[in-house]
Amino acid sequence: MAKKKSSKGTSNEEERKSTQAVNAVPAVEDKTKSTSASDEDEDDEESLGLLQVDLGDILKVKQVLDEATASALVEGTDLEEDLQLENIKLVLMALACCFAMVAQFAPLPFPNSSYIIGGCCIVYFVFSGVLQLISIFIEKDSIVIIKPPPKTFQVQGKRIRVQSSFAKFEEWYVVEMEYEGLPNSPFVRQKWSVGDLFDAEGFFDDLYFTQEVQKLCKRFETGDYDKEDEKETTKGKSKKD
Amino acid sequence: MIKDIIDKQVFELRKLWLNKRQLLFQVLNLAMIVFSALMIWKGLMVVTKSESPVVVVLSGSMEPAFQRGDILFLDNSKHHVGVGDVVVFKIKDRDIPIVHRILKVHTRPDNITFELLTKGDNNRVDDRGLYAPGQLWLRREDILGKAVGTLRYVGMVTIALNDYPVLKYVLVGFMGLFVLT
Repeated sequence: MAKKKSSKGTSNEEERKSTQAVNAVPAVEDKTKSTSASDEDEDDEESLGLLQVDLGDILKVKQVLDEATASALVEGTDLEEDLQLENIKLVLMALACCFAMVAQFAPLPFPNSSYIIGGCCIVYFVFSGVLQLISIFIEKDSIVIIKPPPKTFQVQGKRIRVQSSFAKFEEWYVVEMEYEGLPNSPFVRQKWSVGDLFDAEGFFDDLYFTQEVQKLCKRFETGDYDKEDEKETTKGKSKKD
Repeated sequence: MIKDIIDKQVFELRKLWLNKRQLLFQVLNLAMIVFSALMIWKGLMVVTKSESPVVVVLSGSMEPAFQRGDILFLDNSKHHVGVGDVVVFKIKDRDIPIVHRILKVHTRPDNITFELLTKGDNNRVDDRGLYAPGQLWLRREDILGKAVGTLRYVGMVTIALNDYPVLKYVLVGFMGLFVLT
């Protein structure tokens, strides 16, 4: 633990600003170790610098894990993120803002043009409502949608939906991958304890988590799916291990 | 401690700047929140047909009915107002609206045009001293609306923001930072 912290203080310039000053000797020692260890240290340094989270802040922990899952799946692999839904949302938001700006800033004399202003307000609220519906019914708990995968995957032509759940006040972060639009789609599901991914002070082990997520993706790719009845057991509070 | 928090926020902002799509998303999100509030205000304006559908009582001239810091909801949709109604009006060329009660209504033979005299419940004299020089009566166009509802004390926040304008920027700044990160 102490080793990690000292290495984080040295090679990354940003860390120097926010952490205590550390002498250069530990960094030299770290660099003389094997490459995998120093790579790990560098990754850890970046992640240690980026990602110290207050473990009590449930939303922030989930956000950090969601972002790490998404980047683990999409960066450096054959998979590409499908941005169609995101783009639709951005366009809807921009349109809603346009109507709102017209209603707010257009120099129309007030009592006479109340119908136009009223109309713009209603359109704005309709767009806002549509966005909320998209967020509740279409996105649900998905964190990233991936374009139809390359030939190595079992099912072709369907997008992959990755969803996560992190129950309040519990320690388990669950990631599930399934094919979108396929009824009874085969899925993989994996859960990790927050204790395995963060240390006591809230530093996030980015590298380990990335490896784990990529393992999960590999399982999905090769068809090592989880069974339906596992859904029941993971929902129950008792832990089998 | 505070330096850490500031550093964290600066870092989050810098991370956001690198990912332009995410930045656009967050900016639009913030804009939607601001516009939601503005659109609710505009919607109220359209429904009540009043320029200023919610006002804050600034003085004690209507005590004990309304105290300084109360919020009043106005409705301007009806043309006719009667004696005893509490109305908010603006005197020509003055910025601040006034909340007082109607004392007298003089209706013209056409039954549509009328003139009004107002007085604050807690004042000794009617409002002729407040009107523009030479003006003895108010017209219907001067009225912003009739008070139809009230919320006690909630307007104190507006009074504080008015008295110390820097609080406005501080508040908006905090909200913006909170949403962006």
